[in-house]
Amino acid sequence: MANLSLKHIYKVYPNGAKAVNDFNMEIADKEFIVFVGPSGCGKSTTLRMIAGLEDITAGELKIGETVVNDIEPKDRDIAMVFQNYALYPHMTVYENIAFGLRLKKIPKDIIHKRVIEAAEILHLTEYLGRKPKEMSGGQRQRVSLGRAIVREPKVMLLDEPLSNLDAKLRTQMRAEISKLHTRLNTTFIYVTHDQVEAMTMGTRIVVMKGGCVQQIDTPKNLYCYPKNKFVAGFMGTPQMNFFEGTLLKKGEEVEVTFAYSDQKITVPYSLFYKVKPSYLNGDCPVYIGLRAEDITLEEHKVQKSLTTVNIKISHLEELGAETLVYGDLNMGGDGYVESSTRCIVKLNTDMSQSPKIKFTSGEVVKVALNMQKAHLFDKVTEQSILPKIPQNNYLDCTVEQGKLIFCGEELALPPAINCPNLYGDLIIPTNAFYLGGSIKAKVLSCERIDSNYLTALKIGDRILYASNLQVENASFINLGVDCKKITVLSQGKQVISPLPQTVCLYGKLIKQKQKVSLRVKGKIKSKNQIVFRLEIEGAQFEVSDYITKKLISVLGAKKAFTTPLRFECNISDITFANEGIKAKVLNLLDYGRQKFAKVAVGEKQFFVAENGQGLKDAHLLINLNSASVYQADLNVKIV
Amino acid sequence: MVSLEYLKMSPLKKFLYNFLSLIKKIPLAIWSLLRQIPKAFTMLFNGVSGVFKTVASAAVQGDYKTKISLFIMGFGQLFRGQILRGIIYLIFQAVFVFYMLFFGWKYLAKIGSLGEVAMVKVWDDNLGIYTYQYYDNSLLILLYSLLTVCFIIAFLYAWYQSVKQSYIAQQLLELNIPLKTAKDDLKSYANEKYHKTLLSVPVLGLSVFTIFPIIFMVFIAFTNYDAMHSPPKELFSWVGLQNFANLLGGGVTADAAKFAFTFREVLIWTVIWAIFSTFSNYILGMLVAILINKKGIKFKKLWRTVLVFTIAVPQFVSLMLTSQMLKDTGIINHLLQSLGIISSPLPFLTNGVWAKVVIIVVNVWIGIPYTMLICTGILLNIPADLYESAKIDGAGPIRAYFKITLPYMLHVTAPYLISQFIANLNNFNVIFLLTGGAPDALRLQYAGETDLLITWLYKLTFNMGDYKTASVISIFTFIIVAVISLILYNRSNAVKNEEIFM
Amino acid sequence: MAKKYRSKSRVEKASNTAIYAFLIALSIIWLFPFFFLILQSLRGEAGATTNYFFPKIITFDNYIKLFTDTSLFNFPKWYLNTLIVSVAVTVIQSVIVLITSYALSRLRFKMRKPLMNLILILGMFPGFMSMTAVYFVLKEIGLTQNLFGLILVYTASSAMQYYICKGYFDTIPKSLDEAARIDGANRHTVFLKIILPLAKPIIIYGILTAFIAPWGEYMFSSLLMLGDYDKFNVALGLKLMLHRENVSQYFTRFCAGAVCVSIPITALFIWLQKYYVEGITGGSVKG
Repeated sequence: MANLSLKHIYKVYPNGAKAVNDFNMEIADKEFIVFVGPSGCGKSTTLRMIAGLEDITAGELKIGETVVNDIEPKDRDIAMVFQNYALYPHMTVYENIAFGLRLKKIPKDIIHKRVIEAAEILHLTEYLGRKPKEMSGGQRQRVSLGRAIVREPKVMLLDEPLSNLDAKLRTQMRAEISKLHTRLNTTFIYVTHDQVEAMTMGTRIVVMKGGCVQQIDTPKNLYCYPKNKFVAGFMGTPQMNFFEGTLLKKGEEVEVTFAYSDQKITVPYSLFYKVKPSYLNGDCPVYIGLRAEDITLEEHKVQKSLTTVNIKISHLEELGAETLVYGDLNMGGDGYVESSTRCIVKLNTDMSQSPKIKFTSGEVVKVALNMQKAHLFDKVTEQSILPKIPQNNYLDCTVEQGKLIFCGEELALPPAINCPNLYGDLIIPTNAFYLGGSIKAKVLSCERIDSNYLTALKIGDRILYASNLQVENASFINLGVDCKKITVLSQGKQVISPLPQTVCLYGKLIKQKQKVSLRVKGKIKSKNQIVFRLEIEGAQFEVSDYITKKLISVLGAKKAFTTPLRFECNISDITFANEGIKAKVLNLLDYGRQKFAKVAVGEKQFFVAENGQGLKDAHLLINLNSASVYQADLNVKIV
Repeated sequence: MVSLEYLKMSPLKKFLYNFLSLIKKIPLAIWSLLRQIPKAFTMLFNGVSGVFKTVASAAVQGDYKTKISLFIMGFGQLFRGQILRGIIYLIFQAVFVFYMLFFGWKYLAKIGSLGEVAMVKVWDDNLGIYTYQYYDNSLLILLYSLLTVCFIIAFLYAWYQSVKQSYIAQQLLELNIPLKTAKDDLKSYANEKYHKTLLSVPVLGLSVFTIFPIIFMVFIAFTNYDAMHSPPKELFSWVGLQNFANLLGGGVTADAAKFAFTFREVLIWTVIWAIFSTFSNYILGMLVAILINKKGIKFKKLWRTVLVFTIAVPQFVSLMLTSQMLKDTGIINHLLQSLGIISSPLPFLTNGVWAKVVIIVVNVWIGIPYTMLICTGILLNIPADLYESAKIDGAGPIRAYFKITLPYMLHVTAPYLISQFIANLNNFNVIFLLTGGAPDALRLQYAGETDLLITWLYKLTFNMGDYKTASVISIFTFIIVAVISLILYNRSNAVKNEEIFM
Repeated sequence: MAKKYRSKSRVEKASNTAIYAFLIALSIIWLFPFFFLILQSLRGEAGATTNYFFPKIITFDNYIKLFTDTSLFNFPKWYLNTLIVSVAVTVIQSVIVLITSYALSRLRFKMRKPLMNLILILGMFPGFMSMTAVYFVLKEIGLTQNLFGLILVYTASSAMQYYICKGYFDTIPKSLDEAARIDGANRHTVFLKIILPLAKPIIIYGILTAFIAPWGEYMFSSLLMLGDYDKFNVALGLKLMLHRENVSQYFTRFCAGAVCVSIPITALFIWLQKYYVEGITGGSVKG
């Protein structure tokens, strides 16, 4: 019964191979988390690090409130089920289940009670006297589960528990494990390479590849909003079709050109509002992902649709209720091999019996693509360019006499921004909106995603997205735009740039002797004690025990004081004060709602929220609690 | 390397290609070895400088507890609450100081000369006779000097550990991190440090009874310790590389030349013996195993038990018995004569060539059952589908043997074969109990026709007291065995993939 | 087709007959010396050899004399010596080999690979080389001509025999250790409760080989027991009987002694054969 927290977990082997790369995750109590990915992706290694069977190279692992990095597996209060069951061959089922309890020196009658209970849950009562080798695979796996549940662990870890079972047994055990999860009410972490298992069992799924987390989300979101091409291709059978192509915006329409075949379709621009304009200029290659069920052959739909293309059928796969039709957009292509023109279409079997279309090899047919469901990925980075929560809104705008005009609305620019009249592109980050301004908008939808809200707003005839507004569906609201976050481009040049939000400062850890008065047995004694401080840009800061310990444990007792450190802090954590880092105030910027002072510390210039002291040179204080600390030379995050 | 051209080659060409590429690799291997030398030196330097840095920073930045630890081991531990550790260090230091003062230095001081006076004749007035008073014993001087050196190294290591631990403890306390208690320490010896608990006794035994003696004998190789210079009556002294020169034919005396000749002859026979005995056993043993395991052969268990019976009877019994049976007057010659097959006894063990052949044959007789057992186990493990697919491809039993059985066996048993080969290079029992090296040969010095290096060694020490030569031969034997096994182990893959079986 | 099939079976039959003949011949060659040994041990006639195979007088005299006439050759004493050494060596060596193998197979520590390489290298030195030095060391401590010294010499370097046992341990799945560690066992408990019970065949193999070795060991004991007949083991003693001056008088008694030595070991061996085969095939070939 505990939550887990994995922060910047790394596993690096002595030969330099990174098995797990910066794994971050918070797991709530009673969740059923599934790690899924192809073999060698680091999912088992992560699980084994949670179990304590592998050392954690860097990072912090918490179970409940305790950091367990250096705690032995037996003291972590976890239980694990292994792929090959790992039952002790020389012990009976009863002894196998009781082994852990006996080692804990629990009284015999309690052990007996718990073993019998577990055996009943798992229908093992009649096998208690048998040795593992006298049992079938499914029974063995149940014993293995029994051994795990009698320990009443905080966290259950399951390492591909079903992959040694046959297909039918696997389905049955899958249901049993799900049932066990509801019954035990503990956190489950489950590793599998089978995406069906992941989709059916997990409350949240972690997709991994090459040691890196690709996406952490619910099964539904993974399916509907894959963050990259890998996740899109990994989830769902048959695999998603990926067509290579280019997008060209023509007014309110976008022309999609498929590579290698020169087939073209046209879709409304509204489908691609979230896409960065640079992808829509007709020469940036992208992958257009479409699942087999989102492509159809039905005659009447094909007739109606504007998005039809021709494919050459290569072969069929009959699956009973459904039929998969394999074809290729490229008439010279081969639908047998995965390529960026291959097209798989999923049909009802009745449909494939239809006499109107001939399903023979080499036949060319028309198919309709449901572009509402299309996913777009950058060809090089393979990241989704049509994400669920976009970072920015991309608009056309004009600036006229200090006024920003977009979507038919006008926004007065604050005095800090000085901009000539122009016609250009506007980028408004989705978190730049605030309630209570001059812009009128209609809320189309608003849903909560993790800690954010995705709000679709209709301003004029455009749809914009906001990520920080909690508003009611279908209501009318007044909006403002935080001008320090917007960007305006004109002919490829940045005319208005956003204010930088973070600043990097350099420093190091120092050790000092200090006279401290202590109360010892009622008397006040002054004693030399060692205190630790951070020296940042010449000023000294008190530092929390947590950061000191962290620095020393990561860098070592000697190197901690010599290693240069880099601090990345949010500018909102920096305030003017009477002591601290000496800074020179250069000028003031008025953003209407807020005023900022441009300050210089050494060579570095950044902005600090101004609190009315004007253009005097001053000192700066940093709130270090939320700053991140890096080892400057290696660029490795420590805190 | 597996290119299409390579696959197209005929077996002979393939062999040639492999051989040539092996030759081509040699300079590269030597070069890469040479390149590692500076790296090794820097590593060594870093290690040593790391030690000095730690000690220096402990001396400079340490508090008074750490500083006193530099002189009194365990002081820091004692006064930081790690009583058990502290006491152990303290006792170790006390024992060391005591040993050095009253024992160690006396011997260490004489290591250069290995003693001045061995024995003095003294007139005993009471008894009215000369008695002998013994003084320096070169052997003991060498023995205890080495022991003292080992002790000093151990002490330095412990001292460094004590200082380092004390300094680290100081730093931890500054950070308010509690130190490990004695209970934690002891607990860790059943868990994280369990290897130390387990291996302490085996490693100690290994050090005292194998490593230390080997080092000692290596030193003997540089002295003139033999029957003429035998303590306590006489001293022996350092002679540098003279013994090695003698053995390699660089000696000036006729005696030395004969030694060099004997060494060559014995070495050649040792290698021949090792090759023949290993492979004859292996091939014939495998053959027997295949025959017994052939489909359709009945009483498999009976045949196996008959052979296993010979393993069960102690080897020395079988060997001594056969040596009696094969004598000129032994039962075999008697039987053959009475059957009228031969007129005069066959010189089984009295003719050099005969004896060599007989030894190999007898070794086959002794060795086949072992090989048979091992091969049986593996033969049963060869996946049956390999044979089935070979049959479908049209391979007969002989082809199947050469294309499937033999490669599979060689692959799996390579480590066994290598270890057998090395064991045979040093096979004492078979030679000693069967012939004792006989027949004697005048051309060889203290060696018979069938003596291996190891039995010659035995004779040199046991009968002749020629320790210096024995030790030089030992070193050569080691070099030969090491080179051969290095080559063989490197060629076999099974040894490398230790982790696959985990 | 049918004809070919028949001919194939005929070839098969012929080859099987040949194999049977070969195996029978093999068995005779293999058993002949032992048969000879037993016959000779029962021979009543004196002399080192006879020029006939079957003795004319069958008697148990040799056996009786072996155990009663102890003035020159104290066989019972030798037998006891060997037994004591064997048992002690078996116990100590088994323990050392098991713990070394466990540590090298299951635990991961910095010196693991170097230690394994060191043992490999040490194994390449001729055993006799260290023997002379060991002799001087033992002489200094006063353990020469002493059974305890012999036991020490036999067992001190047992760690070097870890190879086969480690090979066997390596085949026990590592996930068992891991499961036990999660169940709350420390490494010590894993060793005692999981690995040892599963290593029964290799333990018995180890015991068997450790027990047999001292019975036939000649090299070390001859050096260590030099001159003290009472401390001889059976191999030394029986070899003494075959010495040029003794062989004509004592050959039959030697045979009786050899039979006495062989019987318990053979019995033990045949009894535990299964484990021996398992050990030798399981451990020795899995690099």
